[in-house]
Amino acid sequence: MELFLQRLADGLSQGSVYALMALGLVIIYRGTGHLNFAQGEMALFCTYVVYQCGEWGIPIGLALPIGMIVGFALGAVTEVALIRPVAKKSPFAVFIVTLGLFQFLNWLDGAIWRDQPLPNSGVGSVQQQFPSLFPSKDTDFITIFGADIKLQSVGVFVLVLALTGVLFLLFNKTKLGLAMNAVASNAESAKLVGIRTNMVLMVSWGIATAIGALGGVVFAGINHNVNLTLMFTVFIYGSAAATLGGFDSPGGAVLGGLIIGVIENMAAGYADEWVGQQLKVGVAFVVIVVVLLVKPSGLFGTAKVERV
Amino acid sequence: MSLLRAHGLTAGYGPVTVLNGIDLEVNEGEIVVILGANGAGKTTTMRAVSGTIPRSGAVEFDGHDISRTSPDAIVRHGVAQVPQGRGTFPELSVEDNLRAGAITRRDGAGAVAADLQRWFEQFPRLAERRSQRAGSLSGGEQQMLAIARALMSRPKLLLCDEPSLGLAPLITKELFEVIERLNREEGLSVLLVEQNANLAMHMASRVYLLETGRIVASGSAAELSADDTIRKAYLGF
Amino acid sequence: MSVPFTLRSGGPGSWALRLAAGAVLVYLMFWIPTQASNGVIDTCITALTLMAAAMALNLLLGYTGQISIGHSAFFGIGAYTTGILVSKYGWSPFQTLAVAFVVAFVVGALVSLPALRIKGVYLALVTLSLGLVFPQLIKAPKMEWLTGGARGLDKTGFKFTKKNPTYEIFGWNPWGNLRGENVKPFLYWIAMIIVIIVYVVCRGVVKSRAGRSLIAIRDNETAAAVMGVNLAVTKGLAFGLSAALCSLPGCLSAIRTGNVTPDSTNLTVLGAITFLIVMVVGGAGSLWGPIIGSALYVFVTDRTGDWSDKEAIPAVLRPFFGWSHTPPGSGIFAVVLIALMFVAPFGIVGMWHRVIGRFVKVVPRPAGTGTIDAPATAPAEA
Ligand SMILES: Nc1ncnc2c1ncn2[C@@H]1O[C@H](COP(=O)(O)OP(=O)(O)OP(=O)(O)O)[C@@H](O)[C@H]1O
Ligand SMILES: [Mg+2]
Repeated sequence: MELFLQRLADGLSQGSVYALMALGLVIIYRGTGHLNFAQGEMALFCTYVVYQCGEWGIPIGLALPIGMIVGFALGAVTEVALIRPVAKKSPFAVFIVTLGLFQFLNWLDGAIWRDQPLPNSGVGSVQQQFPSLFPSKDTDFITIFGADIKLQSVGVFVLVLALTGVLFLLFNKTKLGLAMNAVASNAESAKLVGIRTNMVLMVSWGIATAIGALGGVVFAGINHNVNLTLMFTVFIYGSAAATLGGFDSPGGAVLGGLIIGVIENMAAGYADEWVGQQLKVGVAFVVIVVVLLVKPSGLFGTAKVERV
Repeated sequence: MSLLRAHGLTAGYGPVTVLNGIDLEVNEGEIVVILGANGAGKTTTMRAVSGTIPRSGAVEFDGHDISRTSPDAIVRHGVAQVPQGRGTFPELSVEDNLRAGAITRRDGAGAVAADLQRWFEQFPRLAERRSQRAGSLSGGEQQMLAIARALMSRPKLLLCDEPSLGLAPLITKELFEVIERLNREEGLSVLLVEQNANLAMHMASRVYLLETGRIVASGSAAELSADDTIRKAYLGF
Repeated sequence: MSVPFTLRSGGPGSWALRLAAGAVLVYLMFWIPTQASNGVIDTCITALTLMAAAMALNLLLGYTGQISIGHSAFFGIGAYTTGILVSKYGWSPFQTLAVAFVVAFVVGALVSLPALRIKGVYLALVTLSLGLVFPQLIKAPKMEWLTGGARGLDKTGFKFTKKNPTYEIFGWNPWGNLRGENVKPFLYWIAMIIVIIVYVVCRGVVKSRAGRSLIAIRDNETAAAVMGVNLAVTKGLAFGLSAALCSLPGCLSAIRTGNVTPDSTNLTVLGAITFLIVMVVGGAGSLWGPIIGSALYVFVTDRTGDWSDKEAIPAVLRPFFGWSHTPPGSGIFAVVLIALMFVAPFGIVGMWHRVIGRFVKVVPRPAGTGTIDAPATAPAEA
């Protein structure tokens, strides 16, 4: 029972990161119908920025907003300068551009911060480990039903729930959210009621990337460092979460992320011999394939999402 | 005073030119009707005015040159369009559709809520379905929704492309009464495309006859119906 | 539009040009292993490896429009088939090529089953996760007895001993000294043969009736189905063949380095992305696109490989790249890739056709015998 609870907690906190990644994917998908393959690397860049802020002595409470603002700008600029011009040509061109951006950002991170995990205490970095948003020492846990749950796990989970709440309000109670929903539903008509669709798309990419940045920082905190391959698997888990929840459903994305985090940890824990740490990523593969084959619109997506 | 004035308006789709330099005018407080056969370019004219397709020529609205203005900015100038084929937001609720119509307004939530109430009273069928997804409405209900949504922006000029399409005769009559009343009481100007010439001529201040991208006749409803050749060739009564 | 020159496809002018180009290529092909330094030969082997993989991917993406970001898995299947059979069962490396081909074909055809229902970027997602799973599968504890886990396998190449013969043709030895002193030219020739095989197969497929159905699928599935193309079979074969061809350079990598590890670049998703990128930069949907893209990529990465050391950067370029802690090759290529999407979605080959079109008018052969070199429409729909 204790083990189960601990695995559940770990699953939920990792699932929270996937949820953030999936949210970013979904927000972009709803607006433009594009799957942003660079989402993970955009988040990674911001995570490095937050690391750098830490090196300069900026506390994480301030560095995180800086990272998210950088993310917003990165996303917005990407949409305006790279995505919008080629989106007119073909969806394939957009796919290639996101892939090129993936490669470019991954290279850029290495070019600026080298290819070793950071912080590398003693070697060129003043931080001991990547700053965590929540208490993360070995002694920072609470005991629930005899299980020691890390405060970090609780914090991350609560953070994601809070963010989901904020996004829910944004989508359902603000003009921006209404405009985003309208563009997602029918971009042509959105123009005809006076919505600046270009602005909405730009802001969507900005918000998506800022959320991704948050996910990257949280994950680097759990992981204690940031490195060039950090977001590969997070991206694929996030994609699996978005597929499971439905690519046009933000709520589905969050739930999908949590479910996948839990499945992944349970599978790795209980089927140790077969799945273990190595094959955890197989969970994402299986989920993606099965969902796309059985129910392409996901658990909460609308059937409008055409996958065949 | 003229509210909308188009001069030498030319527009088309890609390499195809559909409108060949038409002149068009809507004065404040007028209901102007465009008549023409299928494929004459009526919808294209509406799109050219609202800026949803590339166009050339002069378009002026309310003293502003809008010939290079984007569609969303034209809406903010006070032109609302009910596109042919409705164009509602199928995934959004009826109420959200209406709220989206009011998204450009700056006169506060209270005024928007009051208008919402007003259109729900006008169209009780919409009120019953206010939290239903627009995509699940019947065709006629969606048409009502599209018109109500356009009116939610409190436009100075309403572009209405075949509003009667798919509506029961009784509803159509009601709808035209609403438009006439708005015109009479609130000075709403209307540019209306309508197949049902008889019905439209009734309320029109002026009429344009469109044939393959050209205006072949214009004048008051009385003038046009007095002309026998025109009446036989175009109006069909 | 009038152009200064006209060229009849299949006519004497075009044959003369082809012969000239062929002669240059053949000359280069022999010049490299016999005259060039070992370093250059090694770089060429790298380029040939990438060419074969990119061509294999092109068969799938360029001609059927199915996106795969997981071809590193098929590359890996090749590497591990050779690795396992050579190091654990003592096979000769050459024999393993055929086994790898079959294994990868079967796996590829299996992957194509879901691909029948999943399209565009979603297929990209599926294949991407496949590419991520593959190295993990290799490392899984249950597989360790076979794959050697994270440490990988060694002794997967040829065993060169004093007894190996040295073949000479009129005192001239293009194959290298097989007594273990200098085997680079030998490896070069293996790579070259693999590239030629892959090219010939791709060319054969593309110019055949089957190839035309592939292109029909890419351009319009419904129309293809109406024309009587069996979608499931054609797509499955294309996927299987593409996977099988991609395994060959994988085998080569095992033979070349003598060891296989699950984390070497070409076996990971980064490798798959590289295959895709060089293919698109060269020109998706054209036979020579992947070849040109790969050559360019290896050239650029090789030339800039030591640029993490400031001193190695030519002085003019130092202000632009001096700040970078890693070689700029992949960054430069990423920028080129994005820029190409703005100006020339069909890559360098597409650009070439456009430029040439200004000066030379190529008259196609009569319908029915014509060849399709430059695709007329976008290679894929998302
Ligand atoms: N999206 C489009 N792309 C290309 N051509 C178009 C497009 N829409 C309309 N057309 C062409 O433009 C011409 C005018 O069409 P338009 O829709 O303006 O006619 P209309 O007068 O509104 O007809 P209806 O009474 O049937 O609605 C037609 O010949 C039509 O084929
Ligand atoms: Mg029309």
